[in-house]
Amino acid sequence: MTVKLSLQNVRKTFRSRHADEAFVALDDVTLDVEDGEFMVVVGPSGCGKTTLLDLLAGLTRPTGGQILLDGKPVAGPSLDRGVVFQQYALFPWLTAQGNVEFGLEAKGAPSAERRETARRFLGLVGLAGFESHHPHELSGGMKQRVAIARSLAYDPEVLLMDEPFAALDAQTRETLQCELLRIWRVSGKTIVFITHGIDEAVFLGQRVAVMSSRPGRVERVIDIPPEFKAGEDIRAHPEFGRLRHEIWRLLHEDGERAREDERDARRLAVAA
Amino acid sequence: MNTQTLSTSLPLVAADTGRTPNKALARAGEIAARFSLGLLAPLAILALWQLASAYEWIPVQILPSPRQTWETFLDLAARGELGEHLSISLARVSWSVLAGGSIGLALGFAIGLSARAKAYLHPSFEVFAQFPVIGWIPLLMLFLGIDEALKIVAISFAVVVPVTVNTYKGILAIARDLLEVGRVYAFTSRQTLLRVVIPSALPSIFSGIRQGIMQAWLALIFVELLASSEGLGYLMTWARQVMQLDIVFALILVVGLVGFVLDWVLQKTENHFLAWNPKGL
Ligand SMILES: Nc1ncnc2c1ncn2[C@@H]1O[C@H](COP(=O)(O)OP(=O)(O)OP(=O)(O)O)[C@@H](O)[C@H]1O
Ligand SMILES: [Mg+2]
Repeated sequence: MTVKLSLQNVRKTFRSRHADEAFVALDDVTLDVEDGEFMVVVGPSGCGKTTLLDLLAGLTRPTGGQILLDGKPVAGPSLDRGVVFQQYALFPWLTAQGNVEFGLEAKGAPSAERRETARRFLGLVGLAGFESHHPHELSGGMKQRVAIARSLAYDPEVLLMDEPFAALDAQTRETLQCELLRIWRVSGKTIVFITHGIDEAVFLGQRVAVMSSRPGRVERVIDIPPEFKAGEDIRAHPEFGRLRHEIWRLLHEDGERAREDERDARRLAVAA
Repeated sequence: MNTQTLSTSLPLVAADTGRTPNKALARAGEIAARFSLGLLAPLAILALWQLASAYEWIPVQILPSPRQTWETFLDLAARGELGEHLSISLARVSWSVLAGGSIGLALGFAIGLSARAKAYLHPSFEVFAQFPVIGWIPLLMLFLGIDEALKIVAISFAVVVPVTVNTYKGILAIARDLLEVGRVYAFTSRQTLLRVVIPSALPSIFSGIRQGIMQAWLALIFVELLASSEGLGYLMTWARQVMQLDIVFALILVVGLVGFVLDWVLQKTENHFLAWNPKGL
């Protein structure tokens, strides 16, 4: 296995308007994502998941450390990495069809092929018949699905997805999870998938990176053994429950620690 | 706003009755209601005008009757005089909108796209924008005389300000995440400009142009009243000087009507092209 994406001691700080010293969003994050791997990132809100994804996309530069893609430092965004943004980021003046075609146009696909591909992927995410709707005529979940279709249609080697299924109902989410796994298996894409859902993480990922907050760190990377995933209803497998619990415990401990830190900070503030 | 609430409530009325004739009737009723509500105030003013002239509250030489005004209007139109002066006025507006609009767009894009241009131009522009067009006219007269150039330049000033302001505001307000999508697709600056920046700023730019055209129309009449030998404003001044107040009144109505039609056409165009924009800026 070759390493596709490599984060080495990555640090990201933001200048803060509220405090004198810079805010540390990510601290000493080291993580390798292998070629063709499905890597899931879970972590509490505000722990730096979107920050991490922006760095991988090349939209922002790390304050320290380095990020390598195929062994070369990431200099900026490029067409080999597709992003599904947490806030959808659809163009309001384009229809659903237009939004999906947009990415294909960037790749220089001919127009008949663009139209055909866009229709196919909108169908895939269950939006056949909504091709000519503008984003303001779609629900939150539908917008999210257009954003997913846009990034899938344009077929990048690496897919960076920021809570792409968060706004969907359970039924649609399950369908799209299976669809994404299918696409991943046939295409051999490398996927970095951010989620809040522990079930989703275990269900989708080959490995799950559990993050902790303040500062954002990768606490542990958990292997999801491929054997038990072959079964029918893998969510009913006892191993599924064990992994689920392990991730839950890591997140829970981090939550407790954060609350304790806050209490300490308050006590200090009172004492001072 | 009003028309929207009325038209959205329309299907409800129709759905209640169910049958087609009633539906048509309800629709006709709604439309009639919409228009009659809007017409109420003008009709009241017309009635007051009629009363005032019938009872001679104000002498006829000063306040002609609505009927006489209407006849004067028809007469002016029939003799071709109205058309002639109107087309001169409209030509002036068109040239000024073209000139002022281009300058406004250029300035707006410069301030919106380049931090350096913004640093250089924005402060002075903010100050410049505070002067009413009328305030420039004496100065402009000094340099340009009172010929055609004065009119075009003065009216163009009125267009430049709203077009510039709305253009750069539209560009500076572009959502960051949309620009990021452009970056993810590795767009060149040209592609970003054409595919992201312009479409996104278009509602604001359009609203600026619309304001500019309306401002131009107002400035035009003013400049023509002040210094001109042709155009609607000139005709009005002339009629006042020879105490033909029926002509003045007829022309006031024409000026108002043209302004109304201009705004209406611009709004329809805007709705047509910017249907995706639910805010309807
Ligand atoms: N541009 C920025 N400037 C300043 N602080 C920022 C910026 N972007 C993110 N942060 C801070 O960095 C931290 C991590 O933010 P980030 O958006 O990465 O969280 P997240 O893990 O994606 O959270 P969520 O699950 O809620 O989406 C937050 O505390 C946030 O306030
Ligand atoms: Mg986030």
